[in-house]
Amino acid sequence: MMAGFTTQIRSAVADNEDRNMRQNQFLGRVIRTGSFATAALATGATAALAHSEGGGVKVVLEGADRFSIPPVYHILVVHFPIALWLTAALFIFIRVFSASELAVRLQKAVWPLILLGSLAGFVAYGLGLAIYPWSAITESPLGRNHIMLATWTLTYWTVLGVLGYRYRRFLFDGAQKWVTFVLTLIGTAVVTITGTLGGSLTGTPSLVTKGLGKIGWEVYMTFYLPTWMLVVFGLGAVTIITLGFLGSRARG
Amino acid sequence: MRRTTYLAASAAIFAGLLVAAWATHGTGVVRDDPERNIAIPKELTSELQVKVAYDGEDIWFRYRWPVERPAIFNDVLVYNDGKWETRGGEALGSNPEFLTEDRVAMMIDDGSVPLFSRYGGYITIGEGLTTFTGTPETDEERTKYLPSTRTDPDTFDTIRPAGDLEKLRAAGQFIDLWQWRSSRSNPIGLGDDGFVAEERGGDEGTGPYMTNFDKEAGQPKYMFNPDVAGYRALKIDEVISGKVGFNDTYYLAAETAVPFDPTYQWQNGDTIPRRFLRPETGSRADVVQPSAARWRNGFWDVTLRRKMDTGNPLDDKIFRDGGSYDVAFAVFRNASTMRWHYISLPASLGLGEPAQINAKFSEPGKPDWTGPWTDVEVFYPGQVSWPRLTDPKQHPGADRIAQRVPVAYRHTERQLALYGVEVEFSKEIKRQWLWTLGMSVGLIVAFGFSMMMLFRRREEA
Repeated sequence: MMAGFTTQIRSAVADNEDRNMRQNQFLGRVIRTGSFATAALATGATAALAHSEGGGVKVVLEGADRFSIPPVYHILVVHFPIALWLTAALFIFIRVFSASELAVRLQKAVWPLILLGSLAGFVAYGLGLAIYPWSAITESPLGRNHIMLATWTLTYWTVLGVLGYRYRRFLFDGAQKWVTFVLTLIGTAVVTITGTLGGSLTGTPSLVTKGLGKIGWEVYMTFYLPTWMLVVFGLGAVTIITLGFLGSRARG
Repeated sequence: MRRTTYLAASAAIFAGLLVAAWATHGTGVVRDDPERNIAIPKELTSELQVKVAYDGEDIWFRYRWPVERPAIFNDVLVYNDGKWETRGGEALGSNPEFLTEDRVAMMIDDGSVPLFSRYGGYITIGEGLTTFTGTPETDEERTKYLPSTRTDPDTFDTIRPAGDLEKLRAAGQFIDLWQWRSSRSNPIGLGDDGFVAEERGGDEGTGPYMTNFDKEAGQPKYMFNPDVAGYRALKIDEVISGKVGFNDTYYLAAETAVPFDPTYQWQNGDTIPRRFLRPETGSRADVVQPSAARWRNGFWDVTLRRKMDTGNPLDDKIFRDGGSYDVAFAVFRNASTMRWHYISLPASLGLGEPAQINAKFSEPGKPDWTGPWTDVEVFYPGQVSWPRLTDPKQHPGADRIAQRVPVAYRHTERQLALYGVEVEFSKEIKRQWLWTLGMSVGLIVAFGFSMMMLFRRREEA
């Protein structure tokens, strides 16, 4: 009996040591990852600062806003929400098609990733708006399109994040799973388009830019809807909300 | 109904609206608006091919561009119930009667004009030029000008004193402007030599045409010589339909015209060109054609020749073997004039030096055309002015212009054409865009709200 008790204590101590070791290993990984991320961020920021200085003869542009933030900061920061949202999308896709232990674990990270992405997205959005005067950037078709898509992306992923926070693992229940899947596909598309428009705005258009032209949207022309379609949008929004109310009282 | 049905219905409506938005976007605003002088060409871009040859004495430029139907008439006088009425000439966009001639124009600089090599003709477009929306119609044409010729480069009326203009001209601050006109110069084998400085004008001397109308008498000054043409006048229906062609006598010049005969029994529809063609004089006569050009197989093929050194350095850019120059082109097609043309971005021209357009050294008097054409994309520029482009509150790229970043580095011709159209509807598109932004965000939030209501935790079921 005594020997059994001693064995139990030894076993408990060993478990405790194992746990401590795992925690220490985890902590070490976190510190290493954090240090690496901080170093990368610092390197990026230094590079951004260096680039923002420009070169050659300094030019003072009459009529320009006194306060503006060089585009490099927006370009630097915008990769955080992109990375976070797309990682969340990857986890969602894995979970939609797999019920494995790994998939279920990854699913738990979905809403924090999305909402962290939204937080970074708000910062990036603000930095973007501070690059050019509003009057100038909204005179540029490409600028308008970038703002439009960025607004959609930020709103859309924030909505997805709140939905994820509210429903967590139930996002992947039954039919909800496929709605989540489609919503994430749309989210991935808008974040990709926003990014490619940003690239075009800085003079580096990609194949996505050309591809959009081939499927009906010339990105060098402003995306706007005719008035009748705006009315349809309004009616659609009201209908969707009404369906939400009615459906919340329904069974099944 | 089950909750999943509501869920599916909401998702279907949301997806349907996205698809509908994709299909209908960009419609409902851009349209021709004659009251605002807006007419959007059907094609926003086109092509021009260029070859250049020189022999040390002369330089030849050869241009080839597609034209579905050549316009060989410009303005005409048409007899109608005892009066001679003017038809054609200026038009809003494309002239449906094809009474607006085809043209090609070329700007040349030798590096003296600041920024021309980077922005081409854009630097000559001030605010409120003739035919721009909101510019009142006046007798005096508000033409292109160089920014340096104004005390305030953005304001047309702030022209610098004559002494300053002379100093600028002597320093080479002018653009040499060559033109070829299918009706007002081509039939007698001439071009037209002009400039852009404080205005767009012709060099010293007389141009290749004069107006064939006696205002006091209310009648033409000349008519066709019946002994040469076989008629005194053309018929307007045949002119408009294109029945009158190169093989007919269709222009008035010394060899085809006689003084107008008011006693003749003129019939309604009788048509006489409103321009009488004549040899040029002075510096304006420098640009000529080896022979009159003809339209063939859907293309104009035009050659202009000039002495490399005309002896008029205050009017012309002098070409030298080994020299590098900047050129920009404009093509007028589909019976259009004024700002309804297709322009190119600036291109470099090398005479024995590597450039985008390489002039070929030739035997004396024999331009060597054996080399390949240089393809130049031309585009409809809309109403984009230099003051707008350099204003940081109107153009996000104004700082790049201040840093002298060439336009071709940031924009393609097609992009510039699309922007040109958008600028013509800037206010309307911006308003519609803001509404679209608001309504689309509202739709996303509404959908999110609906999903929040319709999704369900298993234990709630």
